[in-house]
Amino acid sequence: MARLSVPTTARLPSSLPVETSNSAVVKLLNRLSRPSLLSMVLDWLDPTNQSMCPPLLQGRDDDDDDFYPPAGSLEELRDIYSDMQQRKGSKREVVDRIVEGDWRNGVTLYQLAMADIQYLYDHPGSLKWTAYKIQRLKTPSSEDGAEGPQKLDKECLAIPRFHPSTFVQNLQAEVLPDVKAHYNLDRPEGMPLWLLRIFILDSPYNTGLAVSNRIGERAATSFDASRTVYIAFPRRLAARLPSTGATTTGESKSLRALIVEGIPKAMSRPRERYALRPAHLSTRNLAELLHVKGAGRTNAAGGGWSIYASENQRTDSPLNPVLPTPPLSDEDATEGLAGGARKKRALSTKTTHDKYQQEAKRARLVAQARFGDSAKADDGKGIERVDILVEDPFAAVTGERRGGGDAEDVGEDDDTSSQQHKRTKGRRSGVDLAFERGQDGDEDDGGDARDWKPQVRLTFHGSHVFAGIRQLVEAGIVDGERMPGWMTGEEGVTIGAVRHGRIRGYKGSGL
Amino acid sequence: MSSSRSRDESLDLSIADQLDDEIASLLAQVESLKKELKIQTSTLMVSEPTRKLLQDRSQKRTVNSLDSGPVAELLKKSDEQVAHQQQCLYRSCASITALKIRDPDPNAVDGGNVLGLRFEVMSKARFVRPYYVMLNRPYPNSRHLRVHRHTVPPCVPLAGLAARHLPAPKPKGGGANDDDDGEFQQEQDLARFARALRRELVRYQNRIGIVGDLHNAVELKNSQASEVLDDDTIVIQTISPADTEAKQISVEWSDGKAGRLIIDDDGKIVKMAVQGGQGQDRGAARDLIGGYMHIEELMGRLEGT
Repeated sequence: MARLSVPTTARLPSSLPVETSNSAVVKLLNRLSRPSLLSMVLDWLDPTNQSMCPPLLQGRDDDDDDFYPPAGSLEELRDIYSDMQQRKGSKREVVDRIVEGDWRNGVTLYQLAMADIQYLYDHPGSLKWTAYKIQRLKTPSSEDGAEGPQKLDKECLAIPRFHPSTFVQNLQAEVLPDVKAHYNLDRPEGMPLWLLRIFILDSPYNTGLAVSNRIGERAATSFDASRTVYIAFPRRLAARLPSTGATTTGESKSLRALIVEGIPKAMSRPRERYALRPAHLSTRNLAELLHVKGAGRTNAAGGGWSIYASENQRTDSPLNPVLPTPPLSDEDATEGLAGGARKKRALSTKTTHDKYQQEAKRARLVAQARFGDSAKADDGKGIERVDILVEDPFAAVTGERRGGGDAEDVGEDDDTSSQQHKRTKGRRSGVDLAFERGQDGDEDDGGDARDWKPQVRLTFHGSHVFAGIRQLVEAGIVDGERMPGWMTGEEGVTIGAVRHGRIRGYKGSGL
Repeated sequence: MSSSRSRDESLDLSIADQLDDEIASLLAQVESLKKELKIQTSTLMVSEPTRKLLQDRSQKRTVNSLDSGPVAELLKKSDEQVAHQQQCLYRSCASITALKIRDPDPNAVDGGNVLGLRFEVMSKARFVRPYYVMLNRPYPNSRHLRVHRHTVPPCVPLAGLAARHLPAPKPKGGGANDDDDGEFQQEQDLARFARALRRELVRYQNRIGIVGDLHNAVELKNSQASEVLDDDTIVIQTISPADTEAKQISVEWSDGKAGRLIIDDDGKIVKMAVQGGQGQDRGAARDLIGGYMHIEELMGRLEGT
């Protein structure tokens, strides 16, 4: 620990120890399961990590009645923990050993960051992610232009480039001097992402004073007032460094606004400014976010359009002479071979049964046409909540009204677990705000004022909303042919206003 | 007793395994035969003699009786096959083809009419899965197009190209408040848009391809050389793309030096910087790219030496 604590604007160093008597430390460690805790500890004990998370080793004046006598060397300690990995035991045993034994002098911020990120990997749904779009701003041509509102440079061909270390440096410059932040960058396995964890403390110091809870009453609260924000940047699978299509952040409101303001400034360079725009998409599922805002082909081809983006079609080369079966009849062909006998029998039995089967098959085909390969219940890309505001006049087009009515039913049938037509006040305000914001930027081709436009608001709620709708279509409960397009999830938004049966402002999604 | 039984079991097991293997191989054979059958059928269907035969037959049939039967069906299939063949020919030669798509959304604009553009790009001597751009006409009383859906990866600046070549029509009256260049109505130019987009896609694919080749070449060389060379020789360890556009390439040497090679859209080398233990290492950069203008020349060097 540095001897002098001077207020500074530097970031918090990774090796800064936090006292283990701090309840936040124990809480963080206790959240993890025993296996992930142990594998993490073994990571800490790696020789390359010693500058960041040094354990207490034997050497100084040792008490003999110490419950956790310090180990003689790193290897010895590693053996102890791998031993724990082999046998069964409680999580408490491991946490106690860390807190009261090998790291009794303090756990560093780096270790805390690792524990927090490990928790995120173990519980991928624990944070809510919001997608943002990075857009280039026009360089103002004159002094006067610089003062005015920022304009988007729509004709720009450059792609914003994300360079982690430069980004963190610039972001630090944006952080106010009375807050201190610790940054930890990670590349989760199996996901083409950069994950930046920002841990923020209310303290002007970047030494032990910032995290100690012994000195004074005021400082004691600072650790509890800490906040954590995650930022994710998509990265190509093969590439090491990403450019971006979207940014996402999670957790804590007021602070998030601060960070969200800082991100475009940190991305920008002289004569190259960027702005963040909300993409009206927020979910707990990172995989879905990557699917819709990642670096692949699927960004602007959701729902039924996904057949154009799917990679697993071999027959699409122009050098393939075989006549392609249309995507919907593939299933028929295989079924015709395998279930020939079954079909014959079906023909001979009652016609009602036959009719029912035909209808079921037709519903399946319609679902395939509307959803393509997307919205399968087991694809792990579930969106848990979708908010839709219908702005269409009530009686103008009966077809649209009917569609809306159907949708409401779906919302209620979809998932019995948590659906009850949201009336939570706190959430609603946020949703309202987003709707209003969405209305600002859009073209206003408003219809007649005489039409009666009731405020119809639909909330779909469940573990995988669009898979639920697909199942309803397959079961024949929702008419797949008359179902509006936004019910397939092809727009890639979780919040939106519907006008003329389409989500406003998203006609050219992905642009 | 017990040992003999276990032997029996293992014998049973091995027989079962053998049968499973046999079944698997037979199934694979069936698959490949089916595939071959399909290919042969498609070739036969479009061959001139077959078509002639079918046409003669069907003409005779229509004269003789009302029902056409299997011959007409075959002829229809043959026609389809010919059309497909022609489409494939266009696709492989023209590289940009148009197709008509119907939007499944019942509320879609313009009655669900969608114009699809299909971009064929070649990479590593084969066609990659085509990129699609779907356009529709959402503007009332105008034939202006707009990008509706697409499968272009985000590192290709589709939005910028669309804004340049397919500008939205200006609303009549007071629409000039948000754009100061909106004095005249810009014309849309679909052909130029398609050309520009294809160029970007091909460049992108080429860059990805060459960086992948460099990566493989280095790996191959290292695996071959690992027995011959001693540990002291400094070799390039990895070459990998450093961003999604594959315009920046990161190079790592076995002694911990790290370099960054920047190429432009077409693969011309713009800049190279190497960071060693003691600051910048200009020598290493010179050694690697000395005098080369294009990234492809680097390829020959890596393979040669």
